[in-house]
Amino acid sequence: MDRNRKILIAILAVVAFSAVLAIVDISLTMQERQTMAPSIGIPQVGPGVGVVRIEGPIDFSDSSSPFGMLSGAEAAIKRLDEMSRNPNIRAIVLRINSPGGTVGATQEIYQKLMNLRKRNVVVVASMGEIAASGGYYIASACSRIVANYGTITGSIGVIIMAPNLRQLFDKLGINMAVIKSGKYKDILSSFREMTPEERELIQEIIDSSYQKFVSDVSLGRNLSRDDILPVADGRIMTGNKALECKLVDVIGTFEDAVNEARKLAKLPEDSAVYDEVKSPFQQLLFSMEGMYRGRSAGLLERSFGFGGYNIVQYRYQP
Amino acid sequence: MDTIKSMRWVDFFLYAITDPGALYRQIQKNEPRPLVLSFAVPVFAALTGIIAGSLVGVESRFFYSKLTYGWLLSVVSSLFTIVAAAALMDAFAQFLGYRGNMKEMMALVNFSQLPKIFVLPLVLIFRTIHFAPPFFYVLFSVLVALWSAFIVVKGIAEMHDSGAGRAVIIFLFPYLLAGVTVFLMLVLGVLYLVRYVSG
Repeated sequence: MDRNRKILIAILAVVAFSAVLAIVDISLTMQERQTMAPSIGIPQVGPGVGVVRIEGPIDFSDSSSPFGMLSGAEAAIKRLDEMSRNPNIRAIVLRINSPGGTVGATQEIYQKLMNLRKRNVVVVASMGEIAASGGYYIASACSRIVANYGTITGSIGVIIMAPNLRQLFDKLGINMAVIKSGKYKDILSSFREMTPEERELIQEIIDSSYQKFVSDVSLGRNLSRDDILPVADGRIMTGNKALECKLVDVIGTFEDAVNEARKLAKLPEDSAVYDEVKSPFQQLLFSMEGMYRGRSAGLLERSFGFGGYNIVQYRYQP
Repeated sequence: MDTIKSMRWVDFFLYAITDPGALYRQIQKNEPRPLVLSFAVPVFAALTGIIAGSLVGVESRFFYSKLTYGWLLSVVSSLFTIVAAAALMDAFAQFLGYRGNMKEMMALVNFSQLPKIFVLPLVLIFRTIHFAPPFFYVLFSVLVALWSAFIVVKGIAEMHDSGAGRAVIIFLFPYLLAGVTVFLMLVLGVLYLVRYVSG
């Protein structure tokens, strides 16, 4: 019996030993694979370039998602803030892929970028598919703007849209009872026609926001208002045309923008790039958030694909 | 300490491999106490299971997370499964008119996990000689699962002095119950999905 027991203990010892062997084997294989893997030449440590991405409409709405994750303008400002405090970040590349957005959110990002510029932080804008209106507004706050040849940009202007559903409601026999403290309280109401006084009032807001847009672009780009006004009529243009109009500095890709940032910050060519890489878990949360938003969006938002009614916007709105 | 020195505890492992009927008789003797010792088996089997699985795949640094947090998670999940399965087997045995003994059933199911630890050295051999380790991993996993089932069935037959047929039914009951539950959940899920899509 004792002999059998000893044999069994020996077998268990062999299993334990094989577990140790297997761990060592897996670790060594892993190490070997890492050393054999092709080097990408970009060490992700030390001083480098930080990347901030601005994707989609710029606004503050739903900035904190049901999953507690920041998104939109709030997230961009927070990331810019974190990067400006990180001693390893010597330059920032702002990757813009946006048709613009609300006036307040756009101006807040613009101001944040201008403050960084005043503190001599190098910020380079890289335009993706589209960087129009508010997207261009924030790009104008950067030290350099790099656009692709075919990037849709420009659209310097302000817009507000309000659907007039009066005829539809008349057909359906729906009346809206409105009790208001002043005659402009329900300005831009969808249930009635807009009065000339209201139109004038809204136009004043639009004009004021437009003047601010032009003066901020003029300040950011270091151009005179007269240089900008000829193209500041809401027109969109390609990156190449924008270069001719001095709205951008260089035609190039995202990599070119990163290299430009390195050059301006006097960083070595292989310095690190700190991109906004989301973990698979974060990506899952973001996709779940997208589903949640899709389900909870209003009728107009779902029908027309956006929810930008009754808000003054720096936005390219085809 | 005397119990450890006496090496009597080794008998549980020895009988689990050589004679499952004797294993149950040893558990019944309760000398030394088998229940606490039996939990060492699923704990060690969870570790060897993770390592054996990693041997057949391409590993990254996540392997170390698997080995630590993953192991803990695996132990918790396998203990939960064992306790649930043992409880259901014991309940079903009582339903069939046998006496119930949850402690003995749990110890038996725990010790029945012992063959699983042998997958690791066997897979390690095939990995070392570079001869289809994934195939042998699957093959050995299936074989040791059958071996584990055999140990439980023999133990139950010994426990209730019943025929092999009844012992098999008692052993299969938790799995049938889980299968039916999953099937009904799937049906409900599909019905809900169809309603959601058509709505």
